[in-house]
Amino acid sequence: MIGPISAIMLTLVVGAIITLLTNSTAQARAVAIVSSFIALAISIWMFLTYELNPVTHLAFEEGSANNWISSIGIGYHVGVDGIGLPMVLLATIVCALGTVYSWSESKRPNQFFALVLLMDLTLIGVFVSLDFFMFYVFWELTLLPMFFLIGVWGGPRKDYSAIKFLIYTHIASVIMMLGIFAMYYYNGINTGVYTFDMMTLLHSYPTLPISSFWKNFIFGALMFGFIVKMPSVPFHTWLPDAHVEAPTVGSIILAGVLLKMGGYGLFRVLLPMIPNASPYFIYALALFGLVSIIYSPFAALAQKDIKKLVAFSSIGHMGFISLGVAASVAAGLEGPRILAHTGAMFQMFSHGIITAVLFGSCGVIEHHTHTRIIDDLGGLTKKMPKFAILMVAGFFASLGLPLCSGFVAEFSILGGSFQTLPIFVALAAVTIPFTAGYHLWAVQRTLWGPYNEYLGDIKEIKWYEFATLAIWTILFIVLGIYPQPIFNMMQDTATYFITSGNILPIGGIPI
Amino acid sequence: MTGYTPLLPEGILIGVAALVILVGLFIEKKKILGYFTLIGLLASLGLTISSWNITTAYTGAPFYGAIVVDPFAQIFNMMFLFVGILVCIAALDAYGDHKNQDEFYALMLLAIVGMMTVALSKDLVALFIGFELASISTYAMAGFDKHDPKSIEAAMKYFLIGGLSSSLMVFGMSYLYGLTGSTNIDTIAAVFAENTALIGTPAILLAMVMLIAGFGFKMAFVPFHMWAPDTYEGAPSIVSSLLAAGSKKMGFAAAFRVFIIGLIAMKLDWYIAFVILAVVTMTVGNVLAVVQKSVKRMLAYSSVAHAGYIAIVFAIVAYPYASADATGLAVAGGILHAFSHAIGKAGAFIAVGAVTYMLMSKNAVDGDPNHIDNYDGLGRRAPLTALLMTIMLLSLAGIPPTFGFTSKWYLFLSAIKGGLLWLAVICVLNSALSVYYYAKVIMRMYWGEPKGDAFIEPPMYLFAMTIAVIALIALFFVPDGVYYWADAAAHALLGV
Repeated sequence: MIGPISAIMLTLVVGAIITLLTNSTAQARAVAIVSSFIALAISIWMFLTYELNPVTHLAFEEGSANNWISSIGIGYHVGVDGIGLPMVLLATIVCALGTVYSWSESKRPNQFFALVLLMDLTLIGVFVSLDFFMFYVFWELTLLPMFFLIGVWGGPRKDYSAIKFLIYTHIASVIMMLGIFAMYYYNGINTGVYTFDMMTLLHSYPTLPISSFWKNFIFGALMFGFIVKMPSVPFHTWLPDAHVEAPTVGSIILAGVLLKMGGYGLFRVLLPMIPNASPYFIYALALFGLVSIIYSPFAALAQKDIKKLVAFSSIGHMGFISLGVAASVAAGLEGPRILAHTGAMFQMFSHGIITAVLFGSCGVIEHHTHTRIIDDLGGLTKKMPKFAILMVAGFFASLGLPLCSGFVAEFSILGGSFQTLPIFVALAAVTIPFTAGYHLWAVQRTLWGPYNEYLGDIKEIKWYEFATLAIWTILFIVLGIYPQPIFNMMQDTATYFITSGNILPIGGIPI
Repeated sequence: MTGYTPLLPEGILIGVAALVILVGLFIEKKKILGYFTLIGLLASLGLTISSWNITTAYTGAPFYGAIVVDPFAQIFNMMFLFVGILVCIAALDAYGDHKNQDEFYALMLLAIVGMMTVALSKDLVALFIGFELASISTYAMAGFDKHDPKSIEAAMKYFLIGGLSSSLMVFGMSYLYGLTGSTNIDTIAAVFAENTALIGTPAILLAMVMLIAGFGFKMAFVPFHMWAPDTYEGAPSIVSSLLAAGSKKMGFAAAFRVFIIGLIAMKLDWYIAFVILAVVTMTVGNVLAVVQKSVKRMLAYSSVAHAGYIAIVFAIVAYPYASADATGLAVAGGILHAFSHAIGKAGAFIAVGAVTYMLMSKNAVDGDPNHIDNYDGLGRRAPLTALLMTIMLLSLAGIPPTFGFTSKWYLFLSAIKGGLLWLAVICVLNSALSVYYYAKVIMRMYWGEPKGDAFIEPPMYLFAMTIAVIALIALFFVPDGVYYWADAAAHALLGV
């Protein structure tokens, strides 16, 4: 009997293969929707019946260490906890609705839908792997479907963007791989057991008797891999290009879930290692977050293309995650640290849903008006009132309006970080008006004002676009009002991490 | 006869080669000989795999310790036979109507016997005989398309430079014999271990330089790689496949034996040489591959780059601070990477051959059939070929879920384990760079605009590529068997 995690992965693999064999949009879509919704149903079931094993602090664990390639200690080992399960849920929600959103895809539909399913599979694989080999394999595999989605269905500069996305993030991954190797090797020397099991390596890292060079190398290599994926300024340049050229559903998955791999890596891999890392890395992490938060609104203000504007908004929101992670390990009271930690995790989930609405809106605009240049738009409310409601909701949620999930997340991060990193929080807070500004200004120029007659007679939003955007909108509003189901799950894990000594507060940070 | 059963795989091939030539004189429909060759190769492969872990040294007549069957020899033999099978299957399409195809099969069999002899030999003379048997057979094969000037040019270059490299190698070997009084690799190692005064003398340094140059030609190390792109590009694709996947690995088998066993006492001297060769080879190979317009030439340069990755094995083994398990892991990783590269590169060259074949059959060639422009839209013109080639390129680039990924993982892990972080960093950055040119071909295949209608894909080419791809994917998911074999091979080689 296979467990729910394997069942999700199997469903998606089989779904992708069958989708590839179909030969019309209707068939491909039907298979893709059915399999991605089965995956969604399983993940919702997991969410509802979630119960942690008190010993391992994992749920739905399957496989064990070293059972796959035992000669070098590689195992098929999967499981989730309060960090992984919300991410699995996010991936299945975004991808399942993403298949519905692409209802009318007519260019090579079988390949398109199969790639969306593979995207879903590989992302879930990253979020459930408890073995570094598997983790890295899935981490690398996420590149391929996205590379093809950008390349085949992308815009005019797709060649450049696809290859830039592939090479840039691949370089970060191989550096991360070396960090994993070093951790594997020194753990092996220390304990005599060579294994890639994530839990074993992470538990032993803080006590490894190795030189500070290797300690810092391991930590730095892994951190580099994660922050390029997030991405943090100054390693963000692949992201706007990839977004601008990607097809809409590609962008939705890219911003909604793929970037979360970096954040997930911070929580899953880096946090347990922190007690043994140099405090300068925590500074660096906080600084990367802060720079992203400050840089993003100004870059977004300058954009002419609405999709690129949304892409830059993602960079800022991901910066809050780095900041929250850094704050949760700096020396301070437990309460605020737990709050910052939980807020950063919640930000990942919340941003995934909100950004799906934003990119979905950009896709609708492009699909209906055939342009994304903000200056060419204007007064869309007059022709597309239903769409306007959703887009406004999305943009307001993104700027951090209360009653939306983004507010809960960013408020918790800033509130939780204030005690440990007050200067960072103050600087981040200063940019909030600018963030609000570019969102409002973008909405103003596209939706309101006089209708631009050059656009011709445009139609109202399609039902499948409306339905998916509406579901995402409802989700983030519900989570903004009643975040407890997910927030509490994350908080339990955060509390476990912070109070069980898995994260030791690093002393001596003067700010 | 019983004592010689471990050598039956080689015996079968020699017998089949002789029969193919003999029967080929009398029959008209020679395609049957291809199937016959295939059966011989399969039988040989079966025997090799079934006796993977035996160790038999022939101390008495007629070999006098020159031949040893051990897991190290067997895993290389398995590689050569696997590549031979792929080439043979593809040849059924490529030369199905050729009037001299019997000679092709016989030459290919003899080349493989030569490569296997190199893997089996523990004696410089036997090693040289095997080297020459493989080389001379492949010289003729490279020029097999005798009406194509490029093929002739390829064969000529290969022959001249191959001849030079052989003479350098013999020169180096003669010095070793002069210094130690033996051609047996074990005896040479023992003499050097006893007479430490020999280490670092000019004569031994000269011998090592000559041997590195001689083997380096076959392995296509920079700066001895000049012939490789021209030959791989000009030779018929399936012959390039045998050269890049088989003959090059023969160079590694020989160098492993001679350097890691015979000259291990001098490891501090060749450490520097191999570190520099490895770094330069992989970097030059990758950088030059990026700018190629011909897919076949790109594959040739990528083959040079892969030689650089495998060459780090020598550096790790010789690195004075590397631990014993690091050297074992490095040799095993090198063998695995040689294997994954052999499958991937053989398959990729066969795919290039298939594309040329399809273009030729449509008379749609203007200019170079290997030019990347011909790959535009291949995903729609020849979907299976494009898919299979994509997977092979991903394996060469080291992207999961392929065997190329695990073998790189193993190899680079051994660099970290050996303490050579800087070398590992150079390797992974090179590997990341290499993704660029493989991805470029994939991009052209899947989102270039097709320049014509669909092709009829040649079945035997497809069959050969499918076998390669199945092997690449299966070895990713179930690698334990080949890992143990590579591990046993490393132990057999290092004698621990």
